[in-house]
This record gives sequence, C-alpha cells and structure tokens, in this order.
Amino acid sequence: MKAFAAYHPIVLFFYYIAVLIFAMITMHPVLLAASTAGAVLLFICMYARRPKVIAKNLLYYLFLFLLLSAVNPLFSHDGERILFFMNGNAVTLEAIIYGAAIALLMISVMFWCKCYNEVMTSDKFLYLFGKAIPKLSLILSMALRFLPLFKSQIGKIHQAQKTMGLYTGDSFVEKIRSSFRVFGAILTWSLENAVDTADSMKARGYGMKGRTNFSVFTFRLRDGILLAVILALSGFLAVGIRGGAFWFQYYPYIAGAYTGNLQIFYDIAAFLLMMLPAAIEVKENVKWKLLKSKI
Amino acid sequence: MEIVKIENLSFTYPERQQKALDQVNLKIQAGEFVVICGESGCGKTTLLRMLKREMAPHGEKSGEITYCQTRLEDLDERTAAGEIGFVMQNPEHQIVTDKVWHELSFGLENLGVPTQVIRRRVGEMSCFFGIHPWFKKKTTELSGGQKQLLNLAAVMVMNPKLLILDEPASQLDPIAASDFIRTLQKLNMELGLTIVLVEHRLEDVFPLADKAVIMEKGRVLYAGPPQQAGQALKNIDSRHNMLLGLPSAVRIYNGLSVEDTCPLTVKEGRDFLDRHFDNHTCAAMESPRRHKDTGEYAIEAKNLWFRYERDLPDIIEGLDLKVRKGEFLSILGGNGSGKTTLLSILAGQKKAYQGRLSIWGKKIKTYKNNELYKHNLALLPQNPQQLFLKSTVQSDYVEICRVMGYSKEETKEHIEKSLSLLGIAHLAGQHPYDLSGGEQQKAALGKILLLKPSILLMDEPTKGIDACSKHNLTRILKDLKDQGLTILMVTHDVEFAAENSDRCGMIFDHQLLSVDVPEVFFSDNNFYTTAANRIARHMYKNAITCQDVITMCTRNGGCP
Amino acid sequence: MNTVKKAIRILLLLGGIPLLILLGATAWNDRRYQLVTMGIAVLSVIPFFLTFERREANTRKLVLVAVLTAISVAGRFIFGPVPFFKPVTAVTILTAIYFGPEAGFLTGSFSAVVSNMFFGQGPWTPFQMFSWGMIGFLAGVLNHRGWMKQRPMLLTYGVLSGIMYSFVMDVWTVLNYDGSFGTAGYLAALASAVPVTAVYCVSNVVFLLALEKPVGERLMRMKKKYGI
Repeated sequence: MKAFAAYHPIVLFFYYIAVLIFAMITMHPVLLAASTAGAVLLFICMYARRPKVIAKNLLYYLFLFLLLSAVNPLFSHDGERILFFMNGNAVTLEAIIYGAAIALLMISVMFWCKCYNEVMTSDKFLYLFGKAIPKLSLILSMALRFLPLFKSQIGKIHQAQKTMGLYTGDSFVEKIRSSFRVFGAILTWSLENAVDTADSMKARGYGMKGRTNFSVFTFRLRDGILLAVILALSGFLAVGIRGGAFWFQYYPYIAGAYTGNLQIFYDIAAFLLMMLPAAIEVKENVKWKLLKSKI
Repeated sequence: MEIVKIENLSFTYPERQQKALDQVNLKIQAGEFVVICGESGCGKTTLLRMLKREMAPHGEKSGEITYCQTRLEDLDERTAAGEIGFVMQNPEHQIVTDKVWHELSFGLENLGVPTQVIRRRVGEMSCFFGIHPWFKKKTTELSGGQKQLLNLAAVMVMNPKLLILDEPASQLDPIAASDFIRTLQKLNMELGLTIVLVEHRLEDVFPLADKAVIMEKGRVLYAGPPQQAGQALKNIDSRHNMLLGLPSAVRIYNGLSVEDTCPLTVKEGRDFLDRHFDNHTCAAMESPRRHKDTGEYAIEAKNLWFRYERDLPDIIEGLDLKVRKGEFLSILGGNGSGKTTLLSILAGQKKAYQGRLSIWGKKIKTYKNNELYKHNLALLPQNPQQLFLKSTVQSDYVEICRVMGYSKEETKEHIEKSLSLLGIAHLAGQHPYDLSGGEQQKAALGKILLLKPSILLMDEPTKGIDACSKHNLTRILKDLKDQGLTILMVTHDVEFAAENSDRCGMIFDHQLLSVDVPEVFFSDNNFYTTAANRIARHMYKNAITCQDVITMCTRNGGCP
Repeated sequence: MNTVKKAIRILLLLGGIPLLILLGATAWNDRRYQLVTMGIAVLSVIPFFLTFERREANTRKLVLVAVLTAISVAGRFIFGPVPFFKPVTAVTILTAIYFGPEAGFLTGSFSAVVSNMFFGQGPWTPFQMFSWGMIGFLAGVLNHRGWMKQRPMLLTYGVLSGIMYSFVMDVWTVLNYDGSFGTAGYLAALASAVPVTAVYCVSNVVFLLALEKPVGERLMRMKKKYGI
C-alpha cells in the first residue's frame, strides 16, 4: 500500500524534514520510542506484501541494536551506577542505556531513510527542486535517465568484447583490464551521443528566459489538511522543546525533565507526529477491506 | 503560400574544401509533404539542419533561407523554437528527461507556457498519439517505436507549423516504422502540417509525398512530383546509384521502357503489370542453382531452450537449426521474437539451459577462453558502435591484431586487406564516431574480419543504412562467401534477405519455422514477403526481387 | 580576479564550517551536533548551486555534466565486485581539470545524490555531496596554471582527496555514533578508518593512472569538436 506516498510532494517533504529534526534533536526516550515505532511500522506497512524483506531488516537491526548497546559500555565508563567490573573497568547502567538510546536513534533514522527512498521517488524530488534550482534539477533528471541506459549499453559492450576474443582468461587482472576497456568504450559512446541530447534540447527552445515548470502533481484539500496537521504538531513540539520538555541526560546519572501537566500532551503529540504515515496506511487498508466486503 | 524558400544556399564546413551544400534552391508550400532523399553524405542532413536555426552547423554560409517571408536569422527566438519542429534519427538520445510526462511538457516549459495550458496541450497530444497508457512511465522503459513517437509528440505539443524529420524511422523495425510514417501522414492530412522528411526507405514514404527532392553532392538533382523522379534520374544517368533506393514499383517501372505514369505503390504496380504484361510464355521463374547440402555443418543446434531468468517465460523453445558450411542463411522474424537472443546463444554469449549446440561439430562448451572467437566465429552486433574502443579505426584494428597474436608484418597486411576489401582505406585515421552510419557498419565489419572467422553472425546489418551502402554490403558479403565464409544473418529486411541468402527461415512463437530457399520461402508467404513479390505474384511464380520481375516481364514481352 | 574571488569563497567556506559548529555547540547546550553539521553540509553546497543557477547556461555543458555524473555512478556497476574501489573521485577530478572547478563540483556532488538514489539516501548524503563536490572544485582551482595535468601533482591530489574524503565522512561517523563531536572520538574514528582510507587513496591513484589518458583524450575531443 502506498497511501502516504500519494500525498503531494511538498507535504511529504515537510513531513520528512520535521521528523528527521525531531528524531535527532534530543535523545529523550519518549521521542526515540515514538520515532522508532513510527518508522518501523511505516516500513512494515510499505512492504506488507514482502514479509521476507521485513523479517530480514528487522532481524538485522535488532542485532545492531543489541550490538551497540553491548559495545558502548566497553568504551564509555561514565555513569554512577556500576554494575560490575571488567578488566578493571567499570561497566555502568548509564552506559548501557545510552548505548541503547544511540542505537535506537540510528535505527529509527535508517528506517526513515528506507521509507524515504520508497516514498520520495525521483520525480517528486525533481519537482520539489525544479522551481528553486531548475538547471540543476534538469541535470539530475538527465543523469537519472542516462544511468539505466548506460547500464544496458555496458552489458552490450561487454558481450561484444567477449565475441571479439578480448577475454583471454578469467583472472582478476584480466577482469580489471576489461572493466577499464568497457569504461572507456561507454565513456566515448555516451559523450558522443550526448550531443544529440543537447541539440534536441536547443531545438525545443531550452535556454530561453522565463521558463515555467510543469508537474503532474496537484495540491488537493487533503494535502492541505495533512500539512496543517504536521505544522501544528511540529509547532507544538517545538514549543515543548524550547520549554525543556524533552530534556534528558544520561551521564553522569540519568535524569529527565518533567514540565508538569503539559508533559503528557507533548508526549502524545510526539507519538501522533511519528505515527501519522503508518496510521494513514492502516486507515486506507481498512477502508479498502470494508469496500471489498460490501461488494 | 510558401512556408520556406531557400535561395542560392551554399555551405562549407570549417577546414573542408568541398561544399556541403552548393547553390540549393527550393520552395516548400504550406501543407506540403516533402521527401528528401540521397546517398549518405549528399548534404541532406546539413540542409535540414540549416532550416532549424538552433541546430544550424557552424561554417561558411551564403544564400538565404526565408520562413514565412521572414529571414530565418530575423525570427524571434520563440517563433524559431516553437514553430519549426525537428525530430532526429536516434530515438534514444533525443529524450531529455526521465519521465514521459516531463518529456512531453519540456518544450512548453521552455517557451514559458503556464501550467494550466501545458496540462491541456499535453493531454490533447497524448490522446492524439495514443500515449496515455504509458504517460507516467519512465522513458527508459519504452520500446524504440514508442520512444520515437514520444519524440514526435514532444515536438508536436509546441504546435509547430513546419515539421522537419531526419531519418526518423531508420532505427525502427518495419512495423514500428510504418506506424510512425502513418502518424506523419495523419498529421499532414488532418492538421495540414507541412512536413519535410529525409528517409532511406522510400517504399512507404514515396506514395505519401507531394514532392520528392533528390540530392547529390550538395546539389538538388530533382525536385518535383515523386511519379517523375525515377524518370528524371534515369535521364541523368541510367545506372544512377539512387535508383536502387526507390520503391520497388518505381524500380520495376524503370527497368521496363513503357509509356505510362510511374506506379508508386504495390497496388499501382500490380495494375501496371496487368495493363502491360502477360505470363503466356513462362509463368514461373526457375530457381537459380543455390547452395548444396554437403552434410557438413558450421552450426548445429538441437532442441535449444532459453530463458533469461528462472521465473521468466521461455524465449527460445526447443529450437533446431543446421547451418551448412559455406551458405548464407537468413533468419527473419518480428520484433521481440527472439532473433537477437538466438544469435547471442549461437555466439556463446548466453547459454541455453537445455539442448545441444555444436560449432564445427564440436560442442560449444568445450571451447576454452577465446578459442571460439579466433579463426572461428564472429558476431557483428546490431549497433556497430559497440565494437569501437579506440580513438581511430586504425588503432581499433591494431588492438584486434594484437589479440590474434599477428606479427608486425602480418598486422599491416591483414589491416590493409580488410580496409581495401571494404573500401574504407581513406577512413583508417578517423575517429569511429565521426563516420556515417554506413561507414561505421563497414568499419565494424572490417574489425570483425580481422578475427579471420569461418562463421560470420550478423544482427540486422542493414539497419539505418542507405540503399547504396546496402548494395555495397551485398557485394562485400558475396566476396566473403566466395572465400568460403559461412554467414548467418538475422534481419527484418525482407528485400535484403531475398536478394542475398541461400536459405531463409522465420522465427515465430519461439521456434524456427520453415527454412527454405528464398524463392519458395517468400512465394509461400502472403505478407512477410518482398514488395516486388507482392506486385508480381499473381502473374509470376517465384519472382521475388525487382530484377526477377523485370526479367520475367521482358521474357514474356508486353501485350499491346 | 575571478580565481581570487573563488579562493576567498573557499576560505570562507572552510573557515565558516568550524565557526558554525562552534556556534551550534554554544547555542545548543544539549550538544546535538548531528543536525548542525548536516545543516552545514547542506548549506555549504548551496552557494555553488546558486552561482551555477544564476549564470547563463551552455546547454552542451549541462548535458556533459549529466553524462559524467551518470558515468561515474555507472562505474560503480562496472567495477562492482571490488569494495571501495570506485572511479567517482577520479572522474570528478578529471572533469574538473578539463571543464573547470564548477563542472567538477557539480559532477562530484551529483554523483553522490544519484548514486544514493540507487544505493539508498541517508543523512550521509550531504556529507558525500560536500566532500566529492569539494574534491572536484579544488582540483579545478588548482589546475589554474595547468598544474594538475602534471602526473605527480595529479597523483598526489588523488591521495589527498582520498584522505580528505575520509576526514569529512568520519565527522559523520563520529556524530552518528557519539552524538557529540570530540577530538578523541574523531581521532579514534580516523584511526579505525585507516585501512578504508588507504583503499580510497590507492583506488584514486589507480583510477587516475588508468583513466588520465583515455578520459582526458575523450574530454579534449569533446572540447575541440563541440566547443564546450
């Protein structure tokens, strides 16, 4: 399901900026937990049809989590509550917890980025930057087009070399040498043919003043609503952070802020923001199931 | 109204002596469909590029071009970019962006058209061209024909009044090519668009044209109705090279001296034969003596199966093939029928997962390293550019000689022989990419021949080359065959296969069907046959080339 | 004159980054450097992009940069099986030598973006953009009097750029792991990255040696034939 990805690129972009900032700005356990849960859930929603991928990723990052939590106390000996000594060095509770927190931060960022790659496809990326940096985004667009083209041409040149008897053996040096030959050939091919591309651009009037920017994306009401929700939640959280709501320290002893009655609202806001995309995916899924059952 | 007027136009490229264009005078009326033809290097591409200001080559120019009574230089940039559209030869490299919708809107964005208008125009054009099913696709996922259609549509959204096309269909397979030409006809008929088209394959294009322009060495030889083009050429030189490139009906007409209007299409050709000739004396062409089966096989394939990946469907299903020693075998087949795949299996690039394949009676698996490719089997790929690795033809050749382990004297001798056989000695010092399509083809073939192969595999050797280069290739291949080379070619080009092969076969439904001598092969086919055969099949059996038809007509003699 | 301006800009950028880090450190007593440095990496590429946007573009040069970007990324597929052995740096440096600092910067930084579109974007993208872009830019500036066309200079630069790349990327490693930036941590990261850095340097030298002539020839040809 890709209900979240169907929103307008601007909304998606703002969301990612907000999430990455809030995920990395403090190491408060509530924010970390919210961010990790949101990222992992979104990832699961997006790969719902490929359970193998989900399982592989979850296992890998679980391993990483355990490893980092275990490794940190070996290097860091700060902290008050000493659990035991190893080789004459103290292993502290704080260090273990800090290691776990760092690991969560890393894992949540990794999962956000994995989802980002799925959601922000190249055309959305180009659309976002097309207005601000039109020339550069055109270069990017061209490079993205060339790459698959070059890849298939590389395969062909490789085969052609083989039938010309240029491979004399299977040794490593031979492979490297032929790689360089292929590289040279693909370079010539691409540079020479690029002139056609440039001509075709000029023929269609590229380079005149007052270029406009077309896109297939339309900003709908639901995009506006989602954007407003994101901005409101982010604003609220920002106020909370300024007020010290998410202050947290690990060394020398663990201590967190408690800003009174509002704290619970800040925590809820954090969870809401981080869970938004996963919630949208789930909602859409349920809606379709209902529609289907009615038919 | 004249939309374009060219007066005394001459052009010389920098550091060249010879003029690329020499005193060209031409008028093009609004709504006209003009076809320009000529051998490669005759200046037709230069002329087209001169008509499009943004693409005009640098060099010394004299004379004048006017567009709608305004000198081309004086046009404002928006008119120049928008009203004159240009489509080039290679479908791949004209595409700029990575998405179809973005490519379509690219020109309008450049013109600064507002988004709402772009949306409408792009939508309208996608419907006209039938692009909407793949509107949101990536441009790299399209087929060659779709790519070229996209290029055309991307120009058409800008609402041009004059459309210039430089061999737009030459890289397409015949079906995609005639679809493309039909689209051009639709644009001309329904929108009254003025079209100037350069094309080698005139079979489809000639009947559509209002005006044919024939060029040679930078000069216009003929400009007028296509019906009289053949006669005009004949008057200049009865063995003129350009005559080879004309549609079959015109060539048959030219080969016979009959007072009548020149037929252009197959239908007109049939009527023409009916009116003037009969088949009382002899109705069937006797088969010339072709290659005999000696029981010795260059390639023997039995029950080959191939697929790209485990979960994908089979491309080749239980294919059997025997290529006799010393014969020229052509394999025809539609797009995506697996012709190229078959060739790469035979060349050892891909492995069949089942079946037996032996080269010269020895299993292909038992050839070690590059043994298979020395003095044995060579493959000429579809795009000759894949073969060039160095900055001159000469150094490319030297590298191959090094691989072959030739001594210095041998290297020199072999290279000289190769160059002279192909008639490209004057190109040895040039950069391979500076050569024309036909020259590249020859240079690539020369490189392959340095491997001293006994079997030559060719993948569509006639793609994108003009009639004259084709004629040259025929001659070269005949020489090679006389020297004992076994040739296997896969192609779309029925005319070329009919003229050259000892046997022809067709791939359909992943299998090889009916391998037979061309006379029988083509006479049995209804659609998949040469235009000459379609013109004359109701009168003469086994006549498949234009020359065959002419021979039969002369033998029977005309009726009053 | 132009080069002087450019040199000043580099100095500002190079000096500005530690300054910004310092600012970030004092403003954020929480010591969350990740965001600050990521922001810096992003900010530091912006001036280059904007100057390029503002100037009149040569269409052919635009396409050329796109081609070279795609080529340097495609190189990762050609030389796929060998880890850390990538032609990106070499292609970037050679582009800069033949087409100037700007083309070098763009090719370098875009190679990072495009290759990450296939191998996965992450917080490291801005750092890669910055370091590859800078490698290209500096190569172009140093080539002012054709210095970079001398082989010893070129190879030395190849080694230096391997080290430079490692230095910048280790900032990211340290920040990612520690969340704070300490000299000790940084040195430790640098030390642990020595083998990888060595591979970078060696691969840069190998690629420069192998590609110098063929790539140079081809780029020269483009320059002459099409006047780019």
